[in-house]
Amino acid sequence: EREAVAEVLAQRVDRELHPGVFVARGKEDLLVTKNLTPGEAVYGEKRISIDTPAPVSGDAATNGDSAPMATKTEYRVWNPFRSKLAAGILGGLEDIHMKPGSKVLYLGAASGTSVSHVADIVGPTGTVFAVEFSHRSGRDLINMATHRTNVIPIIEDARHPLKYRMLVSMVDCIFADVAQPDQARIVGLNAHQFLKVGGGVVVSIKANCIDSTAPPEQVFAREVGKLREERIKPKEQLTLEPFERDHAMVVGVYQRSG
Amino acid sequence: MSVDYLLHESSVGYAVFSVRMQADTVGARLKEVQEAHTDLARFGKMVQLVSFAPFQGASQALENANDVSEGIMSDYLQTVLESNLPKAGKKEKKEGHPGRIECETGETSELAGDLLRGLRLHAEKLLKSLQTGDVSRAQLGLGHAYSRSKVKFSVQKNDNHII
Repeated sequence: EREAVAEVLAQRVDRELHPGVFVARGKEDLLVTKNLTPGEAVYGEKRISIDTPAPVSGDAATNGDSAPMATKTEYRVWNPFRSKLAAGILGGLEDIHMKPGSKVLYLGAASGTSVSHVADIVGPTGTVFAVEFSHRSGRDLINMATHRTNVIPIIEDARHPLKYRMLVSMVDCIFADVAQPDQARIVGLNAHQFLKVGGGVVVSIKANCIDSTAPPEQVFAREVGKLREERIKPKEQLTLEPFERDHAMVVGVYQRSG
Repeated sequence: MSVDYLLHESSVGYAVFSVRMQADTVGARLKEVQEAHTDLARFGKMVQLVSFAPFQGASQALENANDVSEGIMSDYLQTVLESNLPKAGKKEKKEGHPGRIECETGETSELAGDLLRGLRLHAEKLLKSLQTGDVSRAQLGLGHAYSRSKVKFSVQKNDNHII
């Protein structure tokens, strides 16, 4: 694993797609997030270590005897074939409504692989409330969260937000990847309870899970309509091709007034 | 319908607030009304803290979190409510708590929802004995404890392979 880090050491991280989301340039471009726990991979993903030139401050220039320390920053590679959010970002989402310091309610956290990247994005001052109903993946999620203290694992049914009302604050963003036919309703219930006015909603929609008989475009349009009824104003919609087939990502803003 | 009292259930404890001012149903969705809930200075005038009953330690917090998630009124919560709500009438609406015995069904109107959202948003500021970070630290501990107990006592624990 150490070799993997060394191998890509020459790469540069030079572009910030969104606050906390970067592109590493190398033989091929890679989507990366800054590792919250340097030295540790979460699910065997590659890590890239970059020398950050020491900031040349006026103080250091005058004080000649302390040599400027070059610090290393470690990034983790984020695979768009494994994460819908990563696919959405590479697809060109304009606003993912999460940045360093954000509070994010993540519905459908699964084993926590994507959640770990969201934890990287919001950083030590942010919080990810990660909800997952399956006990099997819940165990992995809890394990991951023990290493990342900005993740609060919640093993509970996202259909019943009141069950976990003692564990969640008001959040800036709800991300949902629950693959359930009543996904829009689940998102709405959680938004009414926990999402700040003007907060962001990012939903991954798998057409098959909602209605396998209708054409995907029709399913997506219907889901956007349902989100509107939950007072979520749609702002962006894109398909997750070529990473996922018949998936769409919809981004909206929660409006309680009007 | 007017709301008299609010119960805020959080990772640090229970807080009872009385409602001093509230919007009417007709105006609830007005922009100005919604903004009042987001603004701490204005929201602080709408509610008043009656009492804050912190949990004494992690195990008590977990017991209460489990009860709240099942819709059960714990003895502790009952004591908190009885000592902080006026006895007469027993008609007060205790928000957010679909109560079991003395209280009526929790009020679920949008007005109540807005007030409870305000409490959730400003809790750390409204509960003067708390410091910044107290709530999130308690959430982290409670989240782990709650989730671990769920996974541990699972009936459909199906990944214990016998090799």
